[in-house]
Amino acid sequence: MKPSIPLLLVGSGVLGWGALAQTPAKPKAEISFDRDVMPILSQKCYKCHGPDAAKAAAGLRLDQFSSVVATHAVVVGKPSASKIIQRVSDKDADVRMPPSDSGVKPLTTAQIEILKQWISSGAKYEKHWSFVTPTMPALPKVSNPLWCKNPLDRFVLAKLDAAGMKPEAEADRETLAMRAAQTLTGLPPDPGQVIAFVNDKQPGAYERFVDKLLASPAYGEQEARYWLDAVRYGDTHGLQLDNERGVYPYRDWVVSAFNRDLPFDKFVQWQLAGDLLPKPTTEQLVATGYVRMNLTSNEGGAIAEEFLARNTFDRVDTTGTALLGLTVQCARCHDHKYDPIAQKDYYGLYAFFNSTKDDPLDGNVTYPPPVVRAATPEQEAKISSMDRAIDAVLAKVNPDTAVQAFTANNKPIPATKNWQISPVYSAPSFDAAFDQVSAAEPGGAGEKGWKPFAFEIGKDFANIIGKDNASVYIRGTIVMDKAETIGFGVSSDDAVKVWLNGKLIHSHKIGRGIDQGIDRVTGDFKAGENEIVIKVINGISTDGLNLRLYDPRDKELGDKVIAYQKNPSSAVALREMRIAYLAVGPDETSRKEYQRLMKAKAEFESSIPMSLIAQEMEKPRQTYILKRGLYDQLGDKVTRHVPGFLGTLAPAAQVNRLGLAQWMTSSTNPLFARVFVNRVWQQHFGTGLVKTSEDFGSQGEWPVNQPLLDALAVSFIKSGWSVKALNRMIVTSATFRQSSRISKEKLAKDPENRLVSRGPRFRLDAEVIRDKALWASGLLVHEVGGKGFKPYQPDGIWENASDPASSTHIYVREHDTGIYRRSMYLFWKRTAPPPAMVNLDAPLRDTCIVRRSTTNTPLQALTTENETGFLEASRVMAQRMLLGPGNDDMRIQRAFGLVIGRSASAKEMTILKTALSGFQQRYANDEAAAKKLVMVGDAPQTPNQRVSDQAAWMLLCSTLMNTDEFLTVH
Amino acid sequence: MNDPIRDAELMMTRRQLFGRTACGVGTAALGRLLAASGLGGLAGMAAAMDQQAHHGLPGIPNFAPKAKRVIFLFMSGGPSHLDLWDYKPKLRDMFNADLPDQVRRGQRVTTMTSGQARFPIAPSVFDFKKYDNGGDGIYVSELLPHTASVVKELCVVKSMWTEAINHDPATTFLQTGSQIPGRPSMGSWLSYGLGSLNENLPTYVVLHSKVSTGKPNQAVYPRLWGSGFLPSEYQGVAFRSQGDAVLYLQDPDGMDRGTRRKMLDAVEALNHQSLDHFNDPEIAARIKQYELAYQLQASVPDLMDLSKESAETMELYGKDAHEPGTFAANCLLARRMVQRGVRFIQIFHRGWDLHSNLTPDIKGQAKDVDQGCAALIKDLKRQGLLDETLVVWAGEFGRTVYCQGPLTKENYGRDHHPRAFTIWMAGGGVKPGVYGQTDDYGYNIVDKDGKIIDPSVEEFTPGAVHIHDLQATILNQLGIDHTKLTFHYQGREFRLTDVNGHVVKDLLK
Repeated sequence: MKPSIPLLLVGSGVLGWGALAQTPAKPKAEISFDRDVMPILSQKCYKCHGPDAAKAAAGLRLDQFSSVVATHAVVVGKPSASKIIQRVSDKDADVRMPPSDSGVKPLTTAQIEILKQWISSGAKYEKHWSFVTPTMPALPKVSNPLWCKNPLDRFVLAKLDAAGMKPEAEADRETLAMRAAQTLTGLPPDPGQVIAFVNDKQPGAYERFVDKLLASPAYGEQEARYWLDAVRYGDTHGLQLDNERGVYPYRDWVVSAFNRDLPFDKFVQWQLAGDLLPKPTTEQLVATGYVRMNLTSNEGGAIAEEFLARNTFDRVDTTGTALLGLTVQCARCHDHKYDPIAQKDYYGLYAFFNSTKDDPLDGNVTYPPPVVRAATPEQEAKISSMDRAIDAVLAKVNPDTAVQAFTANNKPIPATKNWQISPVYSAPSFDAAFDQVSAAEPGGAGEKGWKPFAFEIGKDFANIIGKDNASVYIRGTIVMDKAETIGFGVSSDDAVKVWLNGKLIHSHKIGRGIDQGIDRVTGDFKAGENEIVIKVINGISTDGLNLRLYDPRDKELGDKVIAYQKNPSSAVALREMRIAYLAVGPDETSRKEYQRLMKAKAEFESSIPMSLIAQEMEKPRQTYILKRGLYDQLGDKVTRHVPGFLGTLAPAAQVNRLGLAQWMTSSTNPLFARVFVNRVWQQHFGTGLVKTSEDFGSQGEWPVNQPLLDALAVSFIKSGWSVKALNRMIVTSATFRQSSRISKEKLAKDPENRLVSRGPRFRLDAEVIRDKALWASGLLVHEVGGKGFKPYQPDGIWENASDPASSTHIYVREHDTGIYRRSMYLFWKRTAPPPAMVNLDAPLRDTCIVRRSTTNTPLQALTTENETGFLEASRVMAQRMLLGPGNDDMRIQRAFGLVIGRSASAKEMTILKTALSGFQQRYANDEAAAKKLVMVGDAPQTPNQRVSDQAAWMLLCSTLMNTDEFLTVH
Repeated sequence: MNDPIRDAELMMTRRQLFGRTACGVGTAALGRLLAASGLGGLAGMAAAMDQQAHHGLPGIPNFAPKAKRVIFLFMSGGPSHLDLWDYKPKLRDMFNADLPDQVRRGQRVTTMTSGQARFPIAPSVFDFKKYDNGGDGIYVSELLPHTASVVKELCVVKSMWTEAINHDPATTFLQTGSQIPGRPSMGSWLSYGLGSLNENLPTYVVLHSKVSTGKPNQAVYPRLWGSGFLPSEYQGVAFRSQGDAVLYLQDPDGMDRGTRRKMLDAVEALNHQSLDHFNDPEIAARIKQYELAYQLQASVPDLMDLSKESAETMELYGKDAHEPGTFAANCLLARRMVQRGVRFIQIFHRGWDLHSNLTPDIKGQAKDVDQGCAALIKDLKRQGLLDETLVVWAGEFGRTVYCQGPLTKENYGRDHHPRAFTIWMAGGGVKPGVYGQTDDYGYNIVDKDGKIIDPSVEEFTPGAVHIHDLQATILNQLGIDHTKLTFHYQGREFRLTDVNGHVVKDLLK
């Protein structure tokens, strides 16, 4: 382990814990507005009488003391005189609140009683708990201080004491090792490290084991996976064509940041605003991929303003949920009904995100700008040295030589006239259209239907045909002063033929767009009038033509000389002229050297992936409230600001994403740290201390243990935002170490384990299940980062779901060992993600998810039984078991240990031996069936093993990989 | 191993769990599946003790349903109402005339045609004939001869409208009630609210159809039948016409049913050991899921096997029905699913996005679906299933009366048109007939006097049917008040119809 992890909260006395007075746990009976009253008002009343100022029915807002008093809804101290009590308890359904047609059920007697008590005791309002900056709570007194390994255990035990429960005993070391490895790294532990841990009799053995896990690169991958769910990372744009998107360096940066334990405040600041930092590093730019992670489209017909609004909504909503745990999107169309977020505040946040340089429509390209070459520092140094070598070659070019070389070539375009266009000729196919000699063609029957055509040299003419499998002819006269051989360029969509003075001089059969490649043609022109005829042949969709006289390169290079002559002191003009000279000038030696260097650089650079980044426009867009959230319904102007109840940007801060990032990550932000520590708790226990990890607002769940949540948040901040330290604290707690067996008593008292009266037990995520299977088989290739990989996938998953024009229409699976990489590197097509992952509840990554649903369905059983990757893993694991020494019993124990992480009981051995002998009998005399069974996957067969043995053992391994214990952390 | 007392205790606990959480960790659905599986023991207990889980949400249906299930025929890409359903004889004389400004009224068009200098009218080249529908009669295009033979069963809505003008948002809107991804699809809402009608098949099945023109030019993808923020077990299960009908259904080559049974027995025995050790009710649930998977392996192939269908039935659906994956074959499968208790079946047919070359291509499109649609309705009717099965035929929007690209007498293209388009419904308590009308251009929705109706999003506009109105009406036929089928997520109650939607009573019997 790197010693740099702050050792916080290990024992009292650190960071002020010991200095805090120990106060007894609070007596319960007291009514808290926020905990007891507000949820009732919020659920039953706020829809019409809440923070949405426009909707406040009868002028009553139950979220404001002044309003309830003024309207006599509440008469302080006198429940029976308070209108609210009268109305909610009225027997007459027409009078009673909430109204019968509202779909909201009447208040229960208990709820009315709470309101009465609250009014009796003064009707005090409090700010919602999560909107108040957390402070370090006092350590509670507990029944058994010796049980506590670190302060967070005190908070847990205090709750258990109050509920009359005792914690479970510590789980055995094998179980603990498996549990911690799975929640911290998403992989089983290294067997050697487990043995070392089990045999380590010194104090701190478990902590040492955990530190090894934290130092493993798999830790950063596991942590990153949850983050990537929240920011909805994917390898495609996510809408309509759903073309590939180049942004995986962002994903790899997230892994690296967690592995380096980049302080969490910096981690988020760079993502929100790395581009706005002074002289941003490549890494800081790559981090801004966060801003670009929204779904995009370039659907034919899409309106840019509409998508600007959609894209920005997506960014604001994700930032609200992922970083603040707020449902800000509720305020998109009107003031928030439950939380104090006005519609104006929503657009205040929106204004931070709507002025980035990227086009709202993605152009259907892999790298919609702006992008950066995501080079590492070493790669950057190499590029610099290559640049220096190129500069040296350029410096050798004498400007006078260059000027001389080009002046001669820069000629005016000759005059043209009489341009005409023929009718369109259809044909049954593209080939026929290309071959067919129509009336207008030189040598054809003669066409009467020529029409004048306003053609121009050098200009694009689109849709001159307008039909699939058809052609058109264009003819005109070019007038030359003297006879000359001229190079000219033709771009066409699709194929083209050219005749000069009746002679076919060019024919190119190709399907392409008009901007895809110029045909270089040379023609012998005579003095005076020359007739040119061009035939354009269209295959499908759009068509077009562009004709350029003289070699277009000459023209461009001539331009550079002119630019230089106009401004000889400009270094840029000089450089560009030198480049042009080296590209086509007469000095072949220098040209070759230059080209060699440029090629080497280009090759090196193209080996470095690019990544989408955010960049701010020079002048931000004006923001308006969008009425009802409609992009073309502009309301009042809005300036950048954050919701008032969460403070303001620091006075000196820039009013842009950087200012927003600094505000977001400030230690006084009441939500930011709490929201994240809650998710890390959820990572280890399956459920957060606030179960609704996505909503810390008034409609979210009250934290089951707020002092614990606040203690975690405050200590996280004090640790310098060390995510590793946070994980370490949780995983080394006595709370985490409990056995996860469930007693009858606790099943009744704490069925969901919200009080953590036992160790965690929950089904593993899709990715972990696949990775574990690969790990057990020995196939897992643990390479960190890189382009998304494409393993086995049933036919048609992409093809049936996508537009044939999509760059991710056809799934081509890979055949190298890259297919055995960890599942977090799967190529993620957002409209059709890897199906085995989806079956096991992986989110689609089209929207921010901070809490996965965990379901239990028959399709999941079929997936782990029959998916090729799982079957291959069983087969290869079987080969591995058969290679090892010993008899069947020993092998079964070894397989069990690999898959389950402990030794099998006598009963389990009996079950497995029975199963194995059944499988052996099945295949002993049916080699054909055995052969079919083991023919799954690319991985090589082990020579000299009997296939019937392999088949039987394969099913044994598959049996183990389908047990609840394999699929579950416990 | 089978200890009923222990099972009962576990189920009690699970019930408490259900009671406490609107949607716990998959447990609600677990109860549903368990109960429906009828496996006795634990499951029987569940069925007896938790009827609610069996039947979906408590209180749902809100009232007696007219329909038990839905077959939704989704024509992806936006079929041209002007060439199929909405007969506009006056356009014949307006070939290549400019669409009058007072018709278009400066409304937004897509950026595919917003650059066009003109909006020239393209009258349909197809003949329409009037058919007796038991009422005033209805004109149907020559492209749909089979469908025309069942118009007495059809409730044709000519005044559908949507807010979205491009495919992705419009399709997402029709499927989920929101243009922005992330909400549950209609089928997921129904699975969630109503629960399952069967024991061994999914509740919500999606089928994709081959497109004979070879131009399936719009993407349809899992998000469109996804469960959004509902637990993922409510998502549609896409049946496939290649490979396994359900992903990973088939055991590997070299494994027979008996061997699978042996393996599952071992898995179950090991899981029972875990259950004894941990006492976690989720383990009992997992044991049952593995059993259900084993049953699915038998029930799905039985469902997909058309060999026992009579020659007469096969003839009804046409020769396409012999080829797996065609629209006609999918319609026949839909009927078989209806018989087996699948709640919501959605058949997608792509390729309707005819921006150019419309007249030849739409012939192929119509031919792909026409006979299957008619056969499905006839077949459901003769089996006595039509009354309780709601069939819906719809695309995400219609197409413009003006031409996109080159216009000739014979051929033209049409752009997207959200302001008015035609859909139809049948069975499930809807009233056969024609609802709504458009102006002489098939551009605006108009009232009986030909006055343009500007429909409102917020309020119900008689004569016009918004996407949310259609959704509300479909839910209504299933006995659901669309304002009451909600899910608490991110601090508020979400529903299929967002904050709008009205049941269109005039469409109902």
